[in-house]
Amino acid sequence: MKFLLFLLLLTPFMSVNAQTFYTETGSTKFTSSVPLHDFTGTSENLVGQIDLNENTIDFYIDLETLDTGNAKRDKDMLLTLETKQYPFAEFFGKLTSDFDLNSSLSQVVVVKGLFKIHGNEKEIEVNGTLTKTSSGLQLNAAWTLLLEDYNIVPPKLLFIKVDQEQKIEINALLTEVKIEGN
Amino acid sequence: MRIIMSFLLLSMFTISVTNAQMARTRAVPDGPVDELFLIGSVAGMSTVTNLEKNNLNSLIMHNFGLVSSGIEDFYGLDQGAAVRLGIDYGISDKLSVGIGRTSIEDNVDVRFKYTVFRQLKSDKIPVEVAIKSDLGINTQKERAFDFEFSERLNYFGSIMVARKFNEKLTLQIAPMISHFNTVVKRTTIIPENTHFALGLGGRIMLDERKSLTFEYLPVIGSRTEGTKNHLAIAYEIETGGHVFQMFLMSGKWFTEQHLIARNENDFFAGDFRLGFNVNRIFSLNKN
Repeated sequence: MKFLLFLLLLTPFMSVNAQTFYTETGSTKFTSSVPLHDFTGTSENLVGQIDLNENTIDFYIDLETLDTGNAKRDKDMLLTLETKQYPFAEFFGKLTSDFDLNSSLSQVVVVKGLFKIHGNEKEIEVNGTLTKTSSGLQLNAAWTLLLEDYNIVPPKLLFIKVDQEQKIEINALLTEVKIEGN
Repeated sequence: MRIIMSFLLLSMFTISVTNAQMARTRAVPDGPVDELFLIGSVAGMSTVTNLEKNNLNSLIMHNFGLVSSGIEDFYGLDQGAAVRLGIDYGISDKLSVGIGRTSIEDNVDVRFKYTVFRQLKSDKIPVEVAIKSDLGINTQKERAFDFEFSERLNYFGSIMVARKFNEKLTLQIAPMISHFNTVVKRTTIIPENTHFALGLGGRIMLDERKSLTFEYLPVIGSRTEGTKNHLAIAYEIETGGHVFQMFLMSGKWFTEQHLIARNENDFFAGDFRLGFNVNRIFSLNKN
């Protein structure tokens, strides 16, 4: 009984050492095609957390931090995404492939979960790479988002038709954190 | 035993924290207030709104004859258009330069606008301030006079102070100076070379893409006899990279030095003209 109690008491400290990695400065980039040219929007405000104990991956971005280099285009984008009502794009899912934290090699990983934007969510599976470095975990991933999947309709007033497919890339260095003091 | 239970509860709580989704928080609590005006000018008067770095605005400005000319002149449209074609370019997020040519007197003008500081959402800076200067040259071939280069020059300078009070209302005040090196005395009236004015402007947003704006340039102090304060009321529509402006204006120029010193039409007496501007903004950024 005493041994059992000892184990139970130890539980919080086991979670303290949970392999959780976090960032608030990840980068996000989307590439959109319109006739005659492509344009990209970027943000350095991607917030993310990877919990290797639970194999959960949680990322979100404040959409109003996206910058395409043209204020008028930014305004159109934010109006289209209705960011006053839906300010975030977010993903929460599980790591479904193995990852060896003791290896410093770049490892291909697969995550599966819900991506939510514009008040609509859809289950997606994304391939990416995860690399353990001396600074933490480096995550790189890319996938294609279809606007109609999230009920995103560019305004009719726009002269230029935006492609339904938007290429999304995220790159983030997550550093190890302690959820509770240790 | 109570202590043990407390530890157990704490343990469960800690595990739940690590499993939960993070709370979503907004990234930028403070920053510049966006878009005090939809574009860098109303009908002819500049606003504090400046171009972003590497953005180019190509601008076509038109107006016609006085609406009061009646149906015989199709309310001014038959009298021909005054046109200013111009481009402005954002060298940085604070500084833009531009060049344009007006069909009246073949006036070619170069201008710059510099944003001194921007209004902040936190109200730590409650207003946006920008300065503008414009140098024009009358390139029209004169038959009556043989002007020297310097005699053809006209100048304008202003300090624009604006505040976006809420999502609907923006107001601007701008002390201005207009100077012409040469003014031609055609009658017994003695013209003034220099005028001071207090430019007033404003915008009421009708929705996210449409607004009503106005500009009023009352002259302060002495002025050339017979000139009137310029007024324009505009309706603006933003569609993608375009901003269309349709307006009624008393002055026929699109350069403020002329609107201050050369306007002889009284808007309130019904002497105004129909006009429209087309702004097309291009991003020259690599992305």
